Amino acid sequence: MTALVEVENLVKHYPIRSGIVFKHDVGAVKAVDGISFELAAGETFAIVGESGCGKSTTARCVLRLIEPTSGTVRFDGEDITAAGTARLRELRREMQMIFQDPFASLNPRMTVRGILREPFRIHGLEEDGKVEDLLEMVGLLPEHASRYPHEFSGGQRQRVGIARAIALNPKLIVCDEPVSALDVSIRAQVLNLLEDLQKQLGLTYLFIAHDLSVVRHIANRVAVMYLGTMVETAATDDLFERPSHPYTQALISAVPVPDPNRERSRRRILVSGDVPSPVNPPSGCRFRTRCPKFANELSEAERQRCVDEPPALVDRGEGHPTACHYSEARTLV
Amino acid sequence: MTEPLLSVEDLRVHFHTDAGVVKAVDGVSWSVAPGETLGIVGESGSGKSVSALAVMGLVPVPPARYESGRILFKGRDLIAADEKERRAIRGKEISMIFQDPLTALNPVFRVGHQIAEVIQAHEKIGRIPARAKAVELLGEVGIPNPRQRAREYPHQFSGGMRQRAMIAMALALDPLVLLADEPTTALDVTVQAQIMDLLIRLQADRGTAIVLITHDLGLVAGHADRVLVMYAGKVAELGTIDDVYYRPRHPYTLGLLNSLARMDQRRTDRLRPIIGQPPSLIRVPPGCAFHPRCPFATDVCRRDVPALEPKDGPDHLAACHHADQVELQQSPAAS
Repeated sequence: MTALVEVENLVKHYPIRSGIVFKHDVGAVKAVDGISFELAAGETFAIVGESGCGKSTTARCVLRLIEPTSGTVRFDGEDITAAGTARLRELRREMQMIFQDPFASLNPRMTVRGILREPFRIHGLEEDGKVEDLLEMVGLLPEHASRYPHEFSGGQRQRVGIARAIALNPKLIVCDEPVSALDVSIRAQVLNLLEDLQKQLGLTYLFIAHDLSVVRHIANRVAVMYLGTMVETAATDDLFERPSHPYTQALISAVPVPDPNRERSRRRILVSGDVPSPVNPPSGCRFRTRCPKFANELSEAERQRCVDEPPALVDRGEGHPTACHYSEARTLV
Repeated sequence: MTEPLLSVEDLRVHFHTDAGVVKAVDGVSWSVAPGETLGIVGESGSGKSVSALAVMGLVPVPPARYESGRILFKGRDLIAADEKERRAIRGKEISMIFQDPLTALNPVFRVGHQIAEVIQAHEKIGRIPARAKAVELLGEVGIPNPRQRAREYPHQFSGGMRQRAMIAMALALDPLVLLADEPTTALDVTVQAQIMDLLIRLQADRGTAIVLITHDLGLVAGHADRVLVMYAGKVAELGTIDDVYYRPRHPYTLGLLNSLARMDQRRTDRLRPIIGQPPSLIRVPPGCAFHPRCPFATDVCRRDVPALEPKDGPDHLAACHHADQVELQQSPAAS
């Protein structure tokens, strides 16, 4: 497998400034704090985590929609963090994005034809008849081209967003919560469409989601993020069958499944409190303030290690990397 | 089953708009008993929230109109009741929590003040003891430092804490019925687990009847005793969670279960979505509203509205002409 995207030590800090005349930095929101991963061509790699964990920031840095503070992103071997404006524009043909809210991401004053022509216009390409082809590929009709976004349902709008993303035949599509705004029955339609297009066009997906059920269905590999860092990464079934980081375990155990008997027999691992502020993340392991293992199972000496030493993301014998000093695989589903 | 505490009977709430009549709730009946949790599931626009809002008297009339139905609480009809009588019940005996606590809490008053206000509205109690009770309630729902937190404003709370504060407010007067409209949809899953855990413990303590309105079939499987499936303003299916999940008799229920991605199983195949999309409530298809999307549909479905009838037992109801064929399908929930 060749890597299409390689991300190394990606950091994104948003400075907090103070002062009226003499502006100076008084701190930083550490949205993403040193993460590394690779995307193989043709795979679906999912990043999961709760709000504020940095998963969307990561996705946007990969496309350089926002400038990373440090770290490198290589696309097809080329360092795109160093690419100039002209080169970046060329590269954007190869990497596209699908957004969560299909209403906010489509211009309400443009017809679908106008929306789907724009990528071709921007890149100076011929678009004869392509709009109709694209609509067909995403399961819409040619006559939909003359309509405006408000005339469509949420699922159809998301299809327009997908058509726009595949218009220039990209290699990589970043899907940022592509189905979380959709109703259950429509969600399945859009997930199937994404899979069909991946097969047909050989796409690579970077899939950002908080819904673990969707991720288990669509992803080949999964990474779990917490407060700007990656805490565990594994092949999908491995992650769900042998979660080893206490946060992954809490996350999996918190998701209800549509099976009453299974729900009655499940054990929930409750974490306490809320996610700490990314301005002042806890020292050592960032999850320790909410970690049920830290609170209930560790000795004082063991805890000290969580406070002092940030755990590295390495394989500790579970068959996949976890960032916990005391990681241990558990069966939860 | 114990006597129902709250029951909605053949309720029809129609909204008269310029575009036409929106039949948001069109002949819906359900009931909930003390200590029981009834789940109401449906997609956006299925009318799942409207019957609960009607119970609270929160449906604006006009544009809405009650075309028929009764809402019985302890034998009294809340629709026929006068405003004074309804005010005495609302907030005290029946209370509601909403999806978005930031819009449900008043941004310009301190959280403790808002909770105390609810208590003072219903009980002869002084300002200071009401405040003390508010602090006590905040502590009970798991807010650390309740004394200090009571003096803060809603924007100073995190999403999970706001939801806790709203639950504290809803529980202030020990209601007999709690209507929870998507109580955890805006929250992360670990916080959702905390909130649901809290609701279950409070229910066990106080014997509250809970109506859990959600689109999440997982949440209902884990927390409800019975479930009502709504489609296009009508009841598609009603039964115990085991009946509905393991032996669905309505094709819409079966379709929903089939279209779910599962976190607890290895992937076997592509998802099996329901074709098409939910109808607009202004133009509900004739006959069975689900027929354009239904794999079982025949001529009778296009012509006649199916009645909600008992299937294999008096407590399992489905509104489908072909419920017997649906029964032959294996439910994906049965693992």
